[in-house]
Amino acid sequence: MPWRLLKFAMSDRHPEPRMFTPHAQLKSSYDVVIIGAGGHGLASAYYLARDHGITNVAVIEQGYIGGGNTGRNTTIIRSNYLTPEGVKFYDESVRLWQDLSTDFDLNLFYSTRGHFTLAHTDASMRTMRWRAEVNKHYGIDSELVYPDFIQKAVPSMDMSCAGHAPILGALYHAPGAIARHDAVAWGYGRGADMRGVEIHQQTRVLDILTQGGRVTGVKTSRGDIACGKVLCAVAGSTPRILKMLGLRTPIYIHPLQAMVSEPMKQWLDPILVSGSLHVYISQTARGELVMGASLDPYELHSTRSTLDFTESLSAHMVEMLPQLSQVKVVRQWAGMADMTPDFAPIMGKTPVKGFYLDAGWGTWGFKATPVSGKTMSYTVANDRTHPLIEGFAFDRFERYALTGEKGAASVGH
Amino acid sequence: MKIMTCPINGPRLISEFTYWGECQTMPEPADCTDAQWADYVFNKSGAPGIKHEWWCHTPSNTWFIAVRDTMSDVIEKTFLYGQQ
Amino acid sequence: MASNNSMRLPLQPGEWLDRGTVLPFRFEGRSYSGFAGDSISAALWAAGQHTLGRSFKYHRPRGILTLANHDINVMLQTPQAMNIRGDVQALCAGMELVAVNTAGGVENDRNRYMGLLARFLPVGFYYKAFHTKALFPLWERVIRNFSGLGQLDLAKPALHTPKRYDFCDVLVIGAGVSGLQAALHAARAGAQVVVVDENARSGGSASYQLGGNAAALEALRELQNAVAAEPLIRVLTDTTAVGYYADHWVALIDAQCMTKLRAKAVVVASGSFELPAVFRHNDIPGIMTGGAAQRLINRYAVRPMHTAVALVANSEGFTAVLDALRAGVKVAAVADMRMQAPACAARDEVRAAGVRVLDGWAIYEAHAGDSGRRLTGVTIAPLLANGDANARAGEQVACDGVIMSVGYAPAANLLYQAGTSMGWSDTVQQFVPATLPAGIFACGRVNGVYDSAAKALDGQRAGMLAAAHCGFASPQLVPHVPEALRCPSHPWPIVAHPQGKNFVDFDEDLQLKDFYNAAQEGYDNIELMKRYTTNGMGPSQGKHSNMTALRVLARILGKTPIEVGTTTARPFYHPVPISHLAGRGFTPERHTPMRALHAQAGAVWMAAGMWQRPEYYAVAGRSRMQCIREEAMNVREKVGLIDVGTLGKLEVIGPQAAEFLERVYISRYANLAVGMTRYAVMCDESGVVIDDGVVARLADQHFYFTTTTSGAATVYRELSRLNTMWRMDCGIVNHTGAFAGVNVAGPQARKVLATLTSADLDGAAFPYLGVREIDVAGIPARAMRVGFVGEWGYEIHVPAEHGAALWQALMQAGAAFGIRPFGVEAQRLLRLEKGHIIIGQDTDGLTVPREAALGWATKLDKPFFIGQRSLQAIAKRPQKQTLVGFTLDIPGMDTSQDSHPNMPSESHLVIVDGEISGRITSVAFSPALGQVIGMAFVTPGLSAVGTRLPFRLTSGKMVDAQVVALPFYDAAGACQKEASA
Repeated sequence: MPWRLLKFAMSDRHPEPRMFTPHAQLKSSYDVVIIGAGGHGLASAYYLARDHGITNVAVIEQGYIGGGNTGRNTTIIRSNYLTPEGVKFYDESVRLWQDLSTDFDLNLFYSTRGHFTLAHTDASMRTMRWRAEVNKHYGIDSELVYPDFIQKAVPSMDMSCAGHAPILGALYHAPGAIARHDAVAWGYGRGADMRGVEIHQQTRVLDILTQGGRVTGVKTSRGDIACGKVLCAVAGSTPRILKMLGLRTPIYIHPLQAMVSEPMKQWLDPILVSGSLHVYISQTARGELVMGASLDPYELHSTRSTLDFTESLSAHMVEMLPQLSQVKVVRQWAGMADMTPDFAPIMGKTPVKGFYLDAGWGTWGFKATPVSGKTMSYTVANDRTHPLIEGFAFDRFERYALTGEKGAASVGH
Repeated sequence: MKIMTCPINGPRLISEFTYWGECQTMPEPADCTDAQWADYVFNKSGAPGIKHEWWCHTPSNTWFIAVRDTMSDVIEKTFLYGQQ
Repeated sequence: MASNNSMRLPLQPGEWLDRGTVLPFRFEGRSYSGFAGDSISAALWAAGQHTLGRSFKYHRPRGILTLANHDINVMLQTPQAMNIRGDVQALCAGMELVAVNTAGGVENDRNRYMGLLARFLPVGFYYKAFHTKALFPLWERVIRNFSGLGQLDLAKPALHTPKRYDFCDVLVIGAGVSGLQAALHAARAGAQVVVVDENARSGGSASYQLGGNAAALEALRELQNAVAAEPLIRVLTDTTAVGYYADHWVALIDAQCMTKLRAKAVVVASGSFELPAVFRHNDIPGIMTGGAAQRLINRYAVRPMHTAVALVANSEGFTAVLDALRAGVKVAAVADMRMQAPACAARDEVRAAGVRVLDGWAIYEAHAGDSGRRLTGVTIAPLLANGDANARAGEQVACDGVIMSVGYAPAANLLYQAGTSMGWSDTVQQFVPATLPAGIFACGRVNGVYDSAAKALDGQRAGMLAAAHCGFASPQLVPHVPEALRCPSHPWPIVAHPQGKNFVDFDEDLQLKDFYNAAQEGYDNIELMKRYTTNGMGPSQGKHSNMTALRVLARILGKTPIEVGTTTARPFYHPVPISHLAGRGFTPERHTPMRALHAQAGAVWMAAGMWQRPEYYAVAGRSRMQCIREEAMNVREKVGLIDVGTLGKLEVIGPQAAEFLERVYISRYANLAVGMTRYAVMCDESGVVIDDGVVARLADQHFYFTTTTSGAATVYRELSRLNTMWRMDCGIVNHTGAFAGVNVAGPQARKVLATLTSADLDGAAFPYLGVREIDVAGIPARAMRVGFVGEWGYEIHVPAEHGAALWQALMQAGAAFGIRPFGVEAQRLLRLEKGHIIIGQDTDGLTVPREAALGWATKLDKPFFIGQRSLQAIAKRPQKQTLVGFTLDIPGMDTSQDSHPNMPSESHLVIVDGEISGRITSVAFSPALGQVIGMAFVTPGLSAVGTRLPFRLTSGKMVDAQVVALPFYDAAGACQKEASA
């Protein structure tokens, strides 16, 4: 029994202070306003306060802490991306994840499980080997493995996928992990709050004020704020905010759905992803199976669910893991994924001075929570782009300098 | 499943359709700057609203325009290109 | 050990049992029996077995709580099935049941000591501890072992269920009184109606909340008969509407399968959840809701307890007491939480029966014996104004059961899913629909209507309006539903206790103080509270707990329920088996007409998108690589035949056909002579190469062109879109499936073809890159001399119905010349020897033409083509990478070896000065050249012929290649052109 739980037995009153200080009013000005109290926004606030000594910060959140994609994702953390800039970026994130529970003194249930990206075609194997080689070059634990290895890790998997899409191999990433997504927002939030950052929930941003191409303030539903720096980290709501400044990006919003099963005794350790079957699955510490698939096919600013999502995910999942047909799905939900054409985020400075953007997180945002906070806080504090995010610049599309993260999209002959 | 009305084939399940994206007007290539062209190629209007979109009824290869509210997903009307 | 049927009652009117069919079964290793019609829990309860499960966290003994599938106290497992809900699962003969998640059985679960640790396990305790880095993996293992309910049988094969579709005008969800009335009146207006109900029989609460009212039961029978007699109504019982989706698409689940139903209007008559009261130890087996007690009595003929104390706050509670009295239960006391309860007939009847009724009293705590497995009594006490109990004025009452009837929450899940916005009714103390979306209607308890007569009127109203919405005649007179005269729900059915164990969420073992503590820690809005406490996140998804939690939060914040709001209701209403969602699966394959012939020739299949293509043809005693190389060498030396029928095949015809092609491809086609072909590359608007093929000009205004296999549908669709916009004077046709295609290639190819056609195959008459419409073996064909594999060859396209005949004719004619079929792998090897790229392998999602050595094909001076303007912008910037050819010397490697440790693979990286400077896109041992050849992207500085390219193998070992000019084989193209054969 962990010693720290003893205190709960000792006192009659619950000996825990408030995590998030309520603030009756907004001040009239702050040094930095962060729009969005999700993982990224709160992480930025945390590092601004902790590492840069900037505490006169307000985080403005239209709903509740972590209520956006932070609370809806399927919690997969990995760094086995394709491009050098991606690999270096996510590797730094994984490094930061290792100590986050200790930093927060809050258990994020960061659980290293191993991650398989299954390949069912030779084109896919080529891509996996490409990723493995790039990963290894940067010291990431990642390798191409073959059916024997996979079958040993998941003895119940049907390697032929009902005969339709035999597994030829996989990219195996031993550091692949899952974590308790809500808790990340709470941990960063409490850490920021403790250091004087103000978190204002149920507060909408109505407009962003500029003068001469420079940010001067923010209009909110609870009053106006003067500030010289605004960081926007609102994922699916990004285009709405950018519209206030007349900024255009390639970001397009499609729903991304997921579903969860009843809890059952532990049987699945690793995280499984199949590109061909378009499915992924992992088992939480509570014993539930969390499952997801590909993006919804058309733009929609809504978190509505569809039945066909559950149907095609189930059909494919059962090909891979036949025993799942006896498992029951309890709930389905969706988030709004802010997608970009090169499957990489848009981070850093923008054409509007003092306005910093952390967006374009598509299906790859949760794992980047710590490193996005780290790099964005640096960028905001210094008004200088952090080296790790130079490849994700706002203007890269104009320069035809897209990242190659989607570059492995291959077409069979 | 959601229903979309193809101007030729009538109401069909949305799974019978392919979504292309919002209609865009191409700037005159000779008259625009590289930046303006890149904006046309890559940038989107992004925010929710009522948009004119290209959709295709896949089995019959019927391309048409749908006017859809991208927040509520209400399809206001569909019509063949040029036949508002 | 209790004897079987010790709690079974004699025949009850309307019971669900078939007493003629006795079903023996086993639970936790002991034998029992029940009747057909019993649910598992009912049969066990009848037998006197009351410890039916153990709670998730504290492993407390649990019994029947709601018996309505609003809680999961009774979660069971058999060797065949996991996570069975005993309360509602029909009993079957021979079931071998155990309770889930116990260590050593449900009676003596060793994990029950977790309850002793409760003091150390406050809300969110797992966030506050176990995260010492070194120890977390150990703690995690412990926690993961404790978690989870049932055990999944990993060896179980997939279960494939069919899926059904159904249609109706009006779907009514819930076959209680209001639902049946709605159905009847919609049908009478002319609508086709489907009524679904998750229970085995219709009737809803009117079928069990009887209180001895025979007239009410008779009225229900009449209603059920009227519905049965109505031809436009179909009633589906044992069927749950689990989710509402766009355009009135509703998922219905029954034991066998899923039905997807499209309605034109939906009436939600789903009733309400009966809520447990909150008091210390309110989870001891024997403590149940009034509805549970009444279901036991009236459906299953089971006496719920011997001696009861009732805790009520509505007239339904007194009806339940009357049912209990009729079933022979001694009612020691009724604590009515209301200070001034309104008069009601049932209450008077209870008093008249001599039962002690105490107004303004509640249960303060329950007491257990037998290690918590059995209720022995309760302490009742008067309530103070603030809702707390005056414990000192309490008294102990011995009993073995408690009936709780303190209030309800609407089962509004499908209403929420449909986009209903709910409002709060102070009158009935529940959320009720405020704004319903078009086509959605609500009636009965979910609509806040509890009085039986009012429920019937509400159902009629909803049914009429639903039918009108569907276009049937608008009703002349929609019944007016009277306002509620009484409140069925207590606003605070909660009694605090300093020692806690007063449960709110029974799935998650959450006590009242957990909510106060969560709020204290700052999780004080409804969403954060849910996520932090996990209230409503268990398998019951908040059915019995969400409303109570909301009331607690409202009190903490000093807000009204509507101000606090609710969490989102998502599909599914009850958990749905993946088998039902998956169905039988549908994975189509596309085959060419020559499939059987390939199979006969020993084809080993590979997937190319949805198509199946021969990867190679197996030969006994030869390895795969040997077969591939020999097929390739046979093409170089004699003649080979490959099925290329999976390629996209399109035609564009009309006065502007050439102009159209010039706009969509990067090269020129206006100057392509009739009877000639030209390579074609397509880019997207950002200038990235997306597809390639060959364009053949059959006539001035008639072009026939190919695409890659996987690009066929997309290219055709996009070209159609472009022309829809451009409205050029031409039409596009997709012949991909209508034509079969082969490529016959090699030094003997002309001779082979000559035996099958009278056309002039002389080099002058039919030059390299020419296209001719000729007869081959009597089949009208389009033949093109193309250069993909680098030998004299003809790509022949014929109508698909002649594909097999063409193949056979060529194989027969070619036999004398040593013809062999060759597959995709051999073709890839041959084209590599000629330095031809494969889109998607030698290009990726960012490759522009100049990077893939396609600058020559890019005619930037054309008036317009897709991608042109971007390529102009890109041309101003430095080139990032270049595709080059390379050769690699591996001493000792020859055709006898399938591979070699020093042989690199595709995607191996070029490493120069410790930096990634490129990667291999294609590589193979070339039998024609006797060495390893390949193509790689490299940084432009490494592209000069002769440059050393260091590759890093998987092991980390470096091998050196050198850049060479392409093609590797027959640079002059002599094999393909006039001088040869």
